[in-house]
Amino acid sequence: MSTKGASLKGLLLVVLLVSHMLLTKEGVTSLPICPNGSVNCQLSLEELFDRAVKLSHYIHFLSSEMFNEFDERYAQGRGFIAKAVNSCHTASLTTPEDKEQAQQIHHEDLLNLILGVLRSWNDPLVHLASEVQRIKEAPETILWKAVEIEEQNKRLLEGMEKIVGRVHSGEAGNDIYTPWDGLPSLQLADEDSRLFAFYNLLHCLRRDSHKIDNYLKVLKCRLIHDNNC
Amino acid sequence: DLLQWPQISKCRSPEMETFSCYWTAGNFYNLTAPRIIQLLYKKSNEEDWKECPDYITSGQNSCYFNASYTSVWTPYCVQLASKNELYDKKCFSVDEIVLPDPPVHLNWTLLNTSQTGIHGDIQVRWDPPPTADVRKGWITLEYELQYKEVNETKWKELKPRLSTMVPLYSLKTARDYEIRIRSRQRTSEKFGEFSEILYVSFSQIGIGCDHCTEEVEFPWFLVVVFGVCGLAVTVISIMLSKQPRLKMLIFPPVPVPKIKGIDPDLLKKGKLDEVNSILACHDNYKTQLYNDDLWVEFIELDIEDPDEKNRASDTDRLLSEDHLKSHGCLGVKDDDSGRASCCEPDIPETDFSASDTCDATSDSDQFKKATEKEEDLLCLDRQDDESLPSLANTDPQRQHRNTQAENSHPWAPFADSVESPRPSVHTQISNQNSLTSTDFYAQVSDITPAGRVVLSPGQKSKLGRAQREGCTEQNFTMDNAYFCEADVKKCIAVTSHEENEPHVQEQSYSEDGYFTTESLTTTVANFGASTAEPPSSEMPVADYTSIHIVHSPQGLVLNATALPVPDKEFNVSCGYVSTDQLNKIMP
Repeated sequence: MSTKGASLKGLLLVVLLVSHMLLTKEGVTSLPICPNGSVNCQLSLEELFDRAVKLSHYIHFLSSEMFNEFDERYAQGRGFIAKAVNSCHTASLTTPEDKEQAQQIHHEDLLNLILGVLRSWNDPLVHLASEVQRIKEAPETILWKAVEIEEQNKRLLEGMEKIVGRVHSGEAGNDIYTPWDGLPSLQLADEDSRLFAFYNLLHCLRRDSHKIDNYLKVLKCRLIHDNNC
Repeated sequence: DLLQWPQISKCRSPEMETFSCYWTAGNFYNLTAPRIIQLLYKKSNEEDWKECPDYITSGQNSCYFNASYTSVWTPYCVQLASKNELYDKKCFSVDEIVLPDPPVHLNWTLLNTSQTGIHGDIQVRWDPPPTADVRKGWITLEYELQYKEVNETKWKELKPRLSTMVPLYSLKTARDYEIRIRSRQRTSEKFGEFSEILYVSFSQIGIGCDHCTEEVEFPWFLVVVFGVCGLAVTVISIMLSKQPRLKMLIFPPVPVPKIKGIDPDLLKKGKLDEVNSILACHDNYKTQLYNDDLWVEFIELDIEDPDEKNRASDTDRLLSEDHLKSHGCLGVKDDDSGRASCCEPDIPETDFSASDTCDATSDSDQFKKATEKEEDLLCLDRQDDESLPSLANTDPQRQHRNTQAENSHPWAPFADSVESPRPSVHTQISNQNSLTSTDFYAQVSDITPAGRVVLSPGQKSKLGRAQREGCTEQNFTMDNAYFCEADVKKCIAVTSHEENEPHVQEQSYSEDGYFTTESLTTTVANFGASTAEPPSSEMPVADYTSIHIVHSPQGLVLNATALPVPDKEFNVSCGYVSTDQLNKIMP
């Protein structure tokens, strides 16, 4: 029954989100951008960006909710907040930290960075989805969201790679990627430490998903709408 | 007053490019020597605490961090301290504390008004807060609009949306409205402050409806009253209407399972024998009763497994001496189950019936004799009389019959008539053991010249089989109390003495189950021939025969009450032979 409940909730959530997306379609026209010489422009770049932004927004939404639920359920009274000034494993990637930097960075670099962050989260999300099930009495919603985020992250990665393929004019940039070594901390025997590891991971996930969402919106406005969203 | 320490009340970023922290000084400051409160901050990747760069821009007791000091996704910690005393500490990252400024430049335009001029639609537009850089996509805002009439207290909310315009429909032109909007970052939950209130007044643009001050409220009272009256009138008129079809349509009669002439309580009580007798009386029953399944279920026949010896079907109960007490006689009781109208009430108490509820007639004696004489089912399909004796004289049969004389016939044969002119008829079938498993339906084994049909525990006559083979070969099953005319035509009697168990076969149920008038006719015809009484081809055999005498255990004597009936009145389908018809048939 729990899976049924989760899948029902997931279905409802997806329906709501999709309908929300459909209802809030921005009516801004744009010029389709296809690289010169490209034969197969099936989906316009605008369409690709639209989808990417929707996915990133969804992922950030799920991460937020998951973090809030986890916070409510497990972090109260443990003083996690005070210790939450932790760095995430993606901190080594030098991403723009304010609007100025985001405006100045070249869009290809920014796209590569986005890809790097997404790739860096692949592994942690897989483990998150599996390890969160071992949390004692983990709520259904958290379990479901973890799985959903992992799936959507993969899809976003695919979409981003498509976009990069379209937008990139020259050589592909370096493969930016940060390995994650936080799995042992998720499997600690001490429950407090383990929950704190989860707390940090979810906190980082929320932050990074917000970052990705923001970068994509900036790129979309810059490339598609010419800074006139 | 409680001593209140200085506290950081909130930290807020309006556009995700700068942020400010605000604190309350508390009353501690007043009580003791004035102290200087400092705000120190530290980024997560730094070691040292730094002091607030700007205490002024955001007002008193605030600290403003401009864009150069702001890193959005970097965790910060701020603490309120003075000298060496720490008052408060807070950690956050800037993306978590975004609370946008309110939208600006609210205005409205009229879309259209209703025909009466009482209502109007407007479109409200606004601009995003100037600080938020929405155009470059750095921040995405959602807006929530609230509106109310001027003299109301409760605001109506619209759901948050991304666009900066929204229509408001169906506003009363006579009233003035107030509108306010607030915004939030799309992925957050907290809203910023409300914008300034926008006043909407239709009279300003000249379409105010001054004379429409009276609000046309929905006349609920009148609607209810008239609705109820109208409904009542309609219902009454329908009920009183002479048109049955209309009545049927609106008030369909509640279907109640009714078997005409049968008291449903009888069914419940399981007085199947009585029900059967009732059923026998009604001509129109055959089609219904010949719904085999219904009948089967009704009578609880176990048709699927005729070989079970342990079934105690109703026929068994009827037939066996032991079990028949509960069913009493098949006669008519004097209750109002509808049988009295057609059935002869004087069904006697039978031998196998121990109940005293039935009236006994003098015929029972005759029947006893008849049974003793082993008059069995007559094979009505005989071509000549010899077959009868041959059949009748079959030793095993006879013995069988002898032993079973008392038990083998659920229905008494027509003792008198059968005896005199003709050879004994075959005993019908099984021994008592088999009778216990015989079913309710019996086969007409004999028809007396007096017009009485002898029914014996049903043996199924296979259509088309017995004619050539004679009755001996036929296998009647005990499942059928009444045989189809077709069966009777062929050969009713049989010796299924070999068959101790009646074969109840469902598929042939319809064929064999009932004794149709046609078959009876033929039978009677044959009978008539054998008795040198020319059977009229139109021996009308009634559909149902009424039980005249129940002669345990050999069978019942059925009276054909109506004779003669022309041929064409015969129903081809299986049916019960009424005594009338039988009488008609009988010469």
